[in-house]
Amino acid sequence: MQSNDGSETQIQKTGTTTVGLVTADGVVLAADRRASLGGKFVSNKQAIKIEQVHPSAAVTMSGSVGGAQSFIRQLRSTANLYEARRGEQMGMDALAQTAGRLLRGTRSMPVLGGVDESGPRIFSIDPAGGVTEAPYTASGSGMQLAIGVLEGRFEEGLSMDEGATVAAKAVESATERDTASGNGITVARITSENVMIDSYTESTEVA
Amino acid sequence: MRGQDDRQAYDRGTSLFSPDGRLYQVEYAREAVRRGGASVGVRATDGVVLAAERRIRSPLLEPRSIEKLHKIDEHNGVASAGHVADARQLVEEARQTAQIERLSYDQPISPEQLTSEISEHIQEFTQAGHTRPFGAALLVGGYVDGRPQLFETDPSGTSYEWQAIAIGGSSDEIESTLETEYDPEVNTDEAAELAVSVLLDDEDDSMDAENVSVAVIDEDGFRTLDRDAVEALV
Repeated sequence: MQSNDGSETQIQKTGTTTVGLVTADGVVLAADRRASLGGKFVSNKQAIKIEQVHPSAAVTMSGSVGGAQSFIRQLRSTANLYEARRGEQMGMDALAQTAGRLLRGTRSMPVLGGVDESGPRIFSIDPAGGVTEAPYTASGSGMQLAIGVLEGRFEEGLSMDEGATVAAKAVESATERDTASGNGITVARITSENVMIDSYTESTEVA
Repeated sequence: MRGQDDRQAYDRGTSLFSPDGRLYQVEYAREAVRRGGASVGVRATDGVVLAAERRIRSPLLEPRSIEKLHKIDEHNGVASAGHVADARQLVEEARQTAQIERLSYDQPISPEQLTSEISEHIQEFTQAGHTRPFGAALLVGGYVDGRPQLFETDPSGTSYEWQAIAIGGSSDEIESTLETEYDPEVNTDEAAELAVSVLLDDEDDSMDAENVSVAVIDEDGFRTLDRDAVEALV
């Protein structure tokens, strides 16, 4: 982006590798902890890139931090208003549709994961507002490295801990080679009851 | 005499309370609803039945053109009573609300949420200046997520959920009949029979199948019954 004096200003980006997958017990999201300026300078080594937006759903951040934070605030307030007005929680389809609408035109590509009456669900949301459901997905600059690990290790019916290990391993592999990703792993375990977000130095600590 | 002066002073604007806390324009609007034909809603175990009285004032009139039952969305319908033109405005609002729910949340709107949003719209017209309340009441029936529900909303924007309800002319008499004859275990066929019988029963014997229109909302969606099907219920 151009600043007033004509020089390039650096926008804080998450660089990022984030992944999401469904398990038999719920949903797992995982992300690295590095924030960078243009992928060249590590601006934060303890970023938490997963945020809860709903009692049983969370999203990962990728792309510009400001855009992602604003998106998360709007999605969370929509879910809160929905519950307050109707006395029931938003379903995952409604949440995904809203996420797609809010994201259109931004520079973010988050993964949305959550559990509702229909079971555990994972969605990729793209900056054009596209919403695609998948059993496992990755996003961010390290996505191609991470998805390779998921292709090899993901299977249906994993337990929550097995899923968390696979997701953490996928993020960890990406941090080995993607310079914009690194500094540890955050894992979110989501059930119909709640969202638990924990951070680890290595994937072996996860379960 | 002074009482009458007060009343004239306080019923000028809809947004004016009378000293005893009443909104006369809203009460007059409720009265407007009572002047028209009746509409009835009956909730069954597998759906909801809406029925409306058709007053055919001339043999030259095409009964089809009397609009009192309206499809709102796939699984929601409305029966109106009162000013037809006012009701149509609310029906248009309801249809848009139903589509907005699909655009925003990718899901069919529940009859409860639909009623809540229509009621908010109605209420705005009792508080804003330079306008009058809607002279129509609606019954909102729907079948969403395997659940049949029936609601009423009136010109004040107040809503209630009912098992069976009548609005419009002679609704008090019809309601007392419904209170004794309604059985919560009925299916939509039996509910339709009950709805037609209370509508026809209430008036003189000159009414027949031509004077009633019936709609059913169930798992398969909203549909109006044709003349033969209504005849079979009489």
